[in-house]
Amino acid sequence: MDEKTEKDILQDIASQEYEHGFVTDVEQEFIPKGLNEDIIRLISAKKDEPQWLLEFRLEAFRRWQKMKMPTWAHLDIPEIDFQDIIYYAAPKKDSDRPKEIDPELEATFEKLGIPLNERAALAGVAVDAVFDSVSVTTTFRKALADKGIIFCSFSEAVKEHPDLVKKYLATVVPIGDNFYSALNSAVFSDGSFCYIPKGVRCPMELSSYFRINARGTGQFERTLIVADEGSYVSYMEGCTAPMRDENQLHAAVVEIVVEKDAEVKYSTVQNWYPGDAEGKGGIFNFVTKRGICKGSGSHLSWTQVETGSAITWKYPSTILKGDNSSSEFYSVAVTNNFQQADTGTKMIHIGKNTRSRIVSKGISAGHSQNSYRGLVKMLPGADNARNFSQCDSLLIGDRCGAHTFPDIQNANRTAVVEHEATTSKISEDQLFYCNQRGIGPEEAVGLIVNGYAREVLSKLPMEFAVEAQKLLSVSLEGSVG
Amino acid sequence: MEIRSGENCSYVAICSGNGCKVVSVRDGRICPEEEQVPDSVRLGRDARFDIVYIVLPGASCGISLRVDLDGEGAEANVSGIYLCNGQDEVRINMDVSHNVPHCNSRQLFKGLAAGASKADFYGKITVAQDAQKTEAYQENHSILLSDAARVDTKPQLEIYADDVKCSHGATVGRLNEEEQFYMRSRGIPEDEAKVLQQLSFLSPVLEHIADEAVRNEAESMVESAVRNI
Repeated sequence: MDEKTEKDILQDIASQEYEHGFVTDVEQEFIPKGLNEDIIRLISAKKDEPQWLLEFRLEAFRRWQKMKMPTWAHLDIPEIDFQDIIYYAAPKKDSDRPKEIDPELEATFEKLGIPLNERAALAGVAVDAVFDSVSVTTTFRKALADKGIIFCSFSEAVKEHPDLVKKYLATVVPIGDNFYSALNSAVFSDGSFCYIPKGVRCPMELSSYFRINARGTGQFERTLIVADEGSYVSYMEGCTAPMRDENQLHAAVVEIVVEKDAEVKYSTVQNWYPGDAEGKGGIFNFVTKRGICKGSGSHLSWTQVETGSAITWKYPSTILKGDNSSSEFYSVAVTNNFQQADTGTKMIHIGKNTRSRIVSKGISAGHSQNSYRGLVKMLPGADNARNFSQCDSLLIGDRCGAHTFPDIQNANRTAVVEHEATTSKISEDQLFYCNQRGIGPEEAVGLIVNGYAREVLSKLPMEFAVEAQKLLSVSLEGSVG
Repeated sequence: MEIRSGENCSYVAICSGNGCKVVSVRDGRICPEEEQVPDSVRLGRDARFDIVYIVLPGASCGISLRVDLDGEGAEANVSGIYLCNGQDEVRINMDVSHNVPHCNSRQLFKGLAAGASKADFYGKITVAQDAQKTEAYQENHSILLSDAARVDTKPQLEIYADDVKCSHGATVGRLNEEEQFYMRSRGIPEDEAKVLQQLSFLSPVLEHIADEAVRNEAESMVESAVRNI
């Protein structure tokens, strides 16, 4: 393709609108800006929390104060003023109808394609909808409760199932784990809690939808998933935010506990506002996600499609503790314009005969930087453990960067680790082949990129796969010549 | 060290016990005197640089090399073998920078870790913006021979240009049991089968030594080391 059309097309994407960039005009309640022990006490009081949870928050805060922002990632993070963030924002409840959902909020989620009305909801998907700092509603709670499944907002779980929360909270991501997880532990607002009892196969997909709306706030949600012996659950997560010139911080913690012979499938389609074509605005997505395959034969599978956020710092990890447990990580990360992503996974093999597989596909375009960073660690007891990692990067345009930073540590003679990575661009032969058959350059790129990411997309639940494919083509449409 | 336009330079660096004494072989002949192996090399247009490291058991050492490909058409081949035993700790640190278009680099490191030894490999390929038509490859393969041995490897790619072919591969594993069975069922004793496997695993690196006499010398050195691990 000649240079001119390439430029035109690049301009087209640059001007492409972020579909979910609107703001909902709803009366909200804020707490003062800043972060100190009083703010944490205030958040805790607002949520009517028990003493032990307040202690937990304060302990985390004290640790966080002694920590420094991590700088090892291949990211250029502007200075974040943690005193300039509002840590709690909630839509005001109508005092006349305290039980009902504000129609404005309902309309918002409707517009995002997340109907909160059970009859209208996507068949077979239960949703926990989180708006800024609070959960608006959780659908299908009754139907799930019949099977003994607990699926509710984190705040409700603290009130209704304190024993379970106490038993599992911070067992996978300890409060002092890292800078952002400590911050989250101190100020976390809402999130989802999910418990699947022994031997139960969750009949529908569970999902959380996170929406940032208010200006000047950060979102700090906390998700805890526990799959008891022999159970199965597929969990999905989606997120969007309005278009703004300011950067907003999103620091979540997700913990997953997989007991003996249980299986958890965790899928994310991350579509936070990525900032404009000049790199102004966008969400800072600094997330800690970790699961533990606690019992033997347990299985945890991560699938992520990362298209949004100005900066992504995210490493969904698995600790393979139980013998014969296995884990997978499938990722597609797309960056365009001035987006930066440093994402990957950690697979810590402790148990015997543990298996892990990593498939990462990075696509960078524009002036973006896209890094894969991964750790595969075989501990001395991980007899016959096995890992295979494959990381491919696709570069679209000559101003972007694609990087691969794996770390392989093997301390067991019988464990085998394999890693391979390639970097390339869309080949002219492939484009020529398509063009020759009457497929236009834009469509051809979409086709090739979708084919390139197919291995990962095919792992997504059906409801998400459609959205992810659409997102990929929107993020990249015709960004190559 | 600088290798000017069109020049060729090849090294064989042998690290043996007593710290790390470096015996070097240059331009196909064994130098009578011990010579320092460079830790930084800059290559001009169409220059070529070859180096093969051989780290023998007992040589706890750190090898570090930075290669800058500064002239178009430059080519660098960096390879090495590390044989670690006992309490050896071997650290290898390779940093290859493609600063201009049309350069090639290849890295191949293979090693065995036995006893309570520890091998660390860090290899980085950086391709600068506008260093188009770069071809850069890196491979690191290790075999663990004992329960207490450890291998850590960090192959890194940092790429800022799009029209490039870059890849890296890393494995850490064990000797293939099917191969052993094949040999043993044909009358080769277990120990000998293992030695043969290890030698064939290492031989692709030794093949990078262009000069036959030097290669033979290196091969026999490696073989006796493998037999004594």
